[in-house]
Amino acid sequence: MPAVIEARDLTKKYGAHVALDRANFSAEAGRIVGLIGPNGAGKTTALRAILGLTDFEGQLQVLGREPFRERTALMHDACFIADVAVLPAWLRVDHAIDFVAGVHPRFRRDRALALLAKAGITGKRRMRELSKGMKTQVHLALTMAIDAKLLVLDEPTLGLDILARRAFYDALVNDYMDETRTILITTHQVEEVENLLTDVLFIDKGRIVLDSSLDDIATRYAAIAVATDRLEAARAEKPFYERPLLGKMVLYYEQPNFDQLAALGEVHTPTIADLFVAKLSGGVE
Amino acid sequence: MNTAIWLVRREFWENRAIWLIPAVFGGLLILASLFGGYHVIGAEDLTTVRTVVQAGALDGMVMIAVTFFVVMAIYSTWYLLDCLYADRKDRSILFWKSMPISDTATVISKLVTALILVPLVYFAFADVTTLLMAFIISVRASASIGGSLWRIDTWLQIQTLWLYLIATTAIWYLPVAGWLLAVSAWAKRAVILWSILPPLALALAERVFLGTQVIAGYLAARIGLAGYFSHALQYTPGAANWVKTEIGHDASIETPVSLYRFLNAGGFVSSPETWIGAAIGIALIVCAIQLRTRRTEI
Repeated sequence: MPAVIEARDLTKKYGAHVALDRANFSAEAGRIVGLIGPNGAGKTTALRAILGLTDFEGQLQVLGREPFRERTALMHDACFIADVAVLPAWLRVDHAIDFVAGVHPRFRRDRALALLAKAGITGKRRMRELSKGMKTQVHLALTMAIDAKLLVLDEPTLGLDILARRAFYDALVNDYMDETRTILITTHQVEEVENLLTDVLFIDKGRIVLDSSLDDIATRYAAIAVATDRLEAARAEKPFYERPLLGKMVLYYEQPNFDQLAALGEVHTPTIADLFVAKLSGGVE
Repeated sequence: MNTAIWLVRREFWENRAIWLIPAVFGGLLILASLFGGYHVIGAEDLTTVRTVVQAGALDGMVMIAVTFFVVMAIYSTWYLLDCLYADRKDRSILFWKSMPISDTATVISKLVTALILVPLVYFAFADVTTLLMAFIISVRASASIGGSLWRIDTWLQIQTLWLYLIATTAIWYLPVAGWLLAVSAWAKRAVILWSILPPLALALAERVFLGTQVIAGYLAARIGLAGYFSHALQYTPGAANWVKTEIGHDASIETPVSLYRFLNAGGFVSSPETWIGAAIGIALIVCAIQLRTRRTEI
């Protein structure tokens, strides 16, 4: 089965500023991929390229199509929420549903209505009358009611309270996701999506610095916390990053000798957030 | 086709002013005819009074049609300038572009709304307004007129005039519409300024550096009403086209024998300027579509 997203040397320049610098990555069907990077790293540009919203250099195939030239066809099989609260102020909830039902062959009205009912949003209210969180709920309901092969979410839960965020991610994993679909998601709250991601892409300064499944991360990366007396021995195993924590030192390793590490202390798999910080901070001081 | 209908509905949802403005305007005229003072011109016999009043009614209906048309033209201009800019400004373009709708369909839907549908809405409201006004005035003044102002041939002439104006202005002003759409799809701010300044600068530069006024001439001939009138309408002075109706002893009003005589469909269709303009208009619309494809952010 071909990859859902396949990018080769994806490059995008805005004048002198290089937003994407020969980025290579791919995403397979049935995966939930987290695209994680600091502000200005090129996340948004990468998403815009994938969704056909911007021209670029290099090669990019999404669901077998060239996104920029074939955006209309691509949007039959892909859908996205590229920013929060972008539904226009004048739009009525019922009109929004009618419109998407009218133009999108894969939209399931009953599903959208059920999602809206769950969020307690009904009828003829205009977006300007809704809170930011409710607007986000409407947009999520519209998008999740589309039977898409690829769902792209850029900070989908910004502005939602913790209950709504949890409910959204639960619905995403339990009701929406199946093996035929692919979800690409960016978020600042890495901890929240950590448990549902199957793959992560770290992006920094326009380049992909890590492209890995979560399973591979467990076999490839390790961290241990050691007291000062064992620090030298731990450093001998060549950590790529270390940071002090509660009087101990946490050291991060890529492809270490797990047996030797185990002799030094309790070996654990770093969290995505920790690995992200470690990878991007880079190098032992 | 289905998508086209939804795109147009979307325009009417967003721009309620499309029908609110002519509705309010028509409503005011109807109120005026209900409560306004009226004065039936004195004449010796009832037949003369009816002729005079009916002649005046035709003038009045044409006046109302023209007024509606002017308001409509101003609104459509603003609409074209705003339509591709507004959803970039409020970022809702990110929602519209997540739908399987091509940028071509989007731009065409706005063009058709501005050049065909908005005029048809105004036409409908102008029609209802004139019919109601004619009815109200006929009832209020029935004692002095002794009958109805209603004449089917007058009404048919007005209908034809409207449809002719809508069809010919849509073609004649296509380059203007294309330019406004391109600015709307491109500008980061100040759409009104951007729509006016470049052509103005071009005309000024030509005048300063070359001492000629060719561009200014073309622009004036295209935008100014005189250019449109001289291509789409005809007016031959002379008694043959006008009916003079005496009012009392020393006054008279002139009304057209028939509005049909003012329409110059043959001349309009056969004029090269009509089609050169249309071609430029289409080129500008293609530009607007390209800009729409590339410009998502403000």
